[in-house]
Amino acid sequence: MNRSNKTVIGTFLTPAVVLLMAFMILPFVMAFVLSFTNSRLIPGPRGTQYIGLTNYQKLVEDNMFWRGLKHNFYFVIIVVPIQTSLALLLAILVNQKLKFSKFFRTFYFIPTVTAMVAVAVVWSFLYHPNGLINSFLTFITGGVWGGVDFLNTTRWAFPAIMAMSIWQGVGFQMLIFLAGLQDIPSSYYEAADIDGANSWEKFKYITLPQLKNTTTFVVISTTILAFRLFTQILVMTNGGPQGSTYTVMLHIYKMAYQRLNIGYGSALTVVFFIIILIISLLQRYLLGEQREVA
Amino acid sequence: MKKLLTISIVLLLTFVMAGSVVAQTEIEVWFHSGRGSEREVIRDQAQRFSEMDNGITVNLVKLPEGSYTQQVQSAAAAGDLPDVLDLDGPTIANYAWSGFLKPLGEFVPEEMEEDFLPSILEQGYYKGNLYALGTFDSGLAFWGNKEYLEEVNARIPEGVEDAWTFQEFMDITKRLQELSEVEYALDMKLNYGVNEHYTYEFSPFLQAFGGDLINRETMVAEGTINGPEANAFASWFQSLFERGYADPNPPGDTQFIEGKTALAWVGHWTFNQHKNALGDDAILIPAPKFMGGKQATGMGSWAWSMPSSTEHPEAAWEFMKFILQPEEIIKMTNANGAVPARESAIEMSELYKEGGELNLFVEQLQKIAVPRPVTPAYPTITSAFQTAMDNIINGADVSQELNDAAETIDEEIEYMGIEQGE
Repeated sequence: MNRSNKTVIGTFLTPAVVLLMAFMILPFVMAFVLSFTNSRLIPGPRGTQYIGLTNYQKLVEDNMFWRGLKHNFYFVIIVVPIQTSLALLLAILVNQKLKFSKFFRTFYFIPTVTAMVAVAVVWSFLYHPNGLINSFLTFITGGVWGGVDFLNTTRWAFPAIMAMSIWQGVGFQMLIFLAGLQDIPSSYYEAADIDGANSWEKFKYITLPQLKNTTTFVVISTTILAFRLFTQILVMTNGGPQGSTYTVMLHIYKMAYQRLNIGYGSALTVVFFIIILIISLLQRYLLGEQREVA
Repeated sequence: MKKLLTISIVLLLTFVMAGSVVAQTEIEVWFHSGRGSEREVIRDQAQRFSEMDNGITVNLVKLPEGSYTQQVQSAAAAGDLPDVLDLDGPTIANYAWSGFLKPLGEFVPEEMEEDFLPSILEQGYYKGNLYALGTFDSGLAFWGNKEYLEEVNARIPEGVEDAWTFQEFMDITKRLQELSEVEYALDMKLNYGVNEHYTYEFSPFLQAFGGDLINRETMVAEGTINGPEANAFASWFQSLFERGYADPNPPGDTQFIEGKTALAWVGHWTFNQHKNALGDDAILIPAPKFMGGKQATGMGSWAWSMPSSTEHPEAAWEFMKFILQPEEIIKMTNANGAVPARESAIEMSELYKEGGELNLFVEQLQKIAVPRPVTPAYPTITSAFQTAMDNIINGADVSQELNDAAETIDEEIEYMGIEQGE
């Protein structure tokens, strides 16, 4: 590598590195440092003090944090498999050379590009006791369905948010799967046709193995997104009823911006980051992503 | 050398003269952008003030109400506050505690201070210093549908003194509920969402039961927010929803004006909405006398303060003095329907003066209004109370919820290191 090459690399790298430092690394380092202090958004007369591990001790005893974490796991365990399989199914559907497949591709993607706040507000209306979903269920069951206040009953609120989140997010994963599908050389399928393989065998022995890297990416990114569950909760239930939809992100938001307790919020962020990091690494190890380029 | 001297003198003179012509002090004023009419009034006031020959111009910055508190907090953290700042009542103590606000004592003449409603001063004082003065206060009472009340032969109280008793209130509620047109006798405006309005509107009931959010002397929540009175209040409140007197999930803001509810516990800001829809059938009913004849209503609203970082305190006060004049206060309250903050302004207001349609709000503010706790821990107190009330309305275990709230509040007060009396 000669000198001018280094200059070129440096020139191209600088903007990215600067932005990454300013908006990713630095805030994280600050959060780490602040987590050992009693920093407040509006500091008190005694200013910010170093308080050692107090925030982390507080966290261990914080019931709401553990409850939120439990809900996060629950959400991930239910949503990730359903959303991933649904996305794959949709991708295969819109990848067929059918009429209107381009229309459906766009159509499934619309919820993903719509702002989550707007989607959440609309779904709050849909889920209302007199809303569209209840009216529809009452109509098709001929009045047997009595109407459920989805977002205000502890049993239904979280499943309702899960369903809405899957609907909203599935388009994005579909798009990634679609790209993966179109990368599979058609010669594989042609060879399989000659060997007399049926559609299921082709799916099982060609499509799935070829999509392995894509699947790994989709599962990990969906998991991370699922852990970050926040906007729809804040808009639709604010963690209620009776804390049944409380999540860690909501807890961090409430501690840092409602109670102004930045120090404790930072400690929560650090712990949550480590948890997600471990899970992502574990997933990667288990799914065994292959790095070599085909 | 001489030439150089002449040039410098000329230059110096030019600067001095230019300076005296442009000796305009510009002050920055932040306010929350509420309803359109409210915005119009403050813009007009700023403009008229700037046009006055006092060498001060106002740079008015409006910030959206939804995120106002957060934006101000971030600005405070960054040391970026303006010269005059509009603050929501219960947040004042927190800013004062942090030293972000300048005490107004040196500016406010005594006779001016005496003209303000006691509720405005209670909200503005923190540890013996006045930090904020509002141009208006809020009013909270029951709005009643007269037609329904007459149908059930309910006595209509004249003022605070002859308000309904607890028995009378429950009795009337029960009879209202039996009317076929009425879906829910009571309207608690839960459609506003779980936020500050929960504390503003429901803590007066708690206080009328003899409880409170926190012991105001010792600043300890344990034993007060989860005391026997508070438990009695919360069980009663929960039962209103269990018995179907109030809707835990109202579909919108129009239940009362559509005649689906009969008594709405809500603030002054619904005046125009209610009058336009129901006309003379919308009447104001004072907060009932609950346990031991105790009555309570909410108070507090947006108020003007001066950040201690300002470089132009005199100019900032000139502007505050201008908008706090009775004539200017009236312009604002005519636009937003709030209670004028000064006695002299109340006398000028058709709606609020003695015998006026909304005079009850003034009477309540003078006699039975309870301020929300003036403490830097208020953000935690209100958030814990809101969570507890939300869960209680949705059927959670009352004593468990209140115990949780007490624990949360006391833990935070200890963590913040707030000393007694702070």
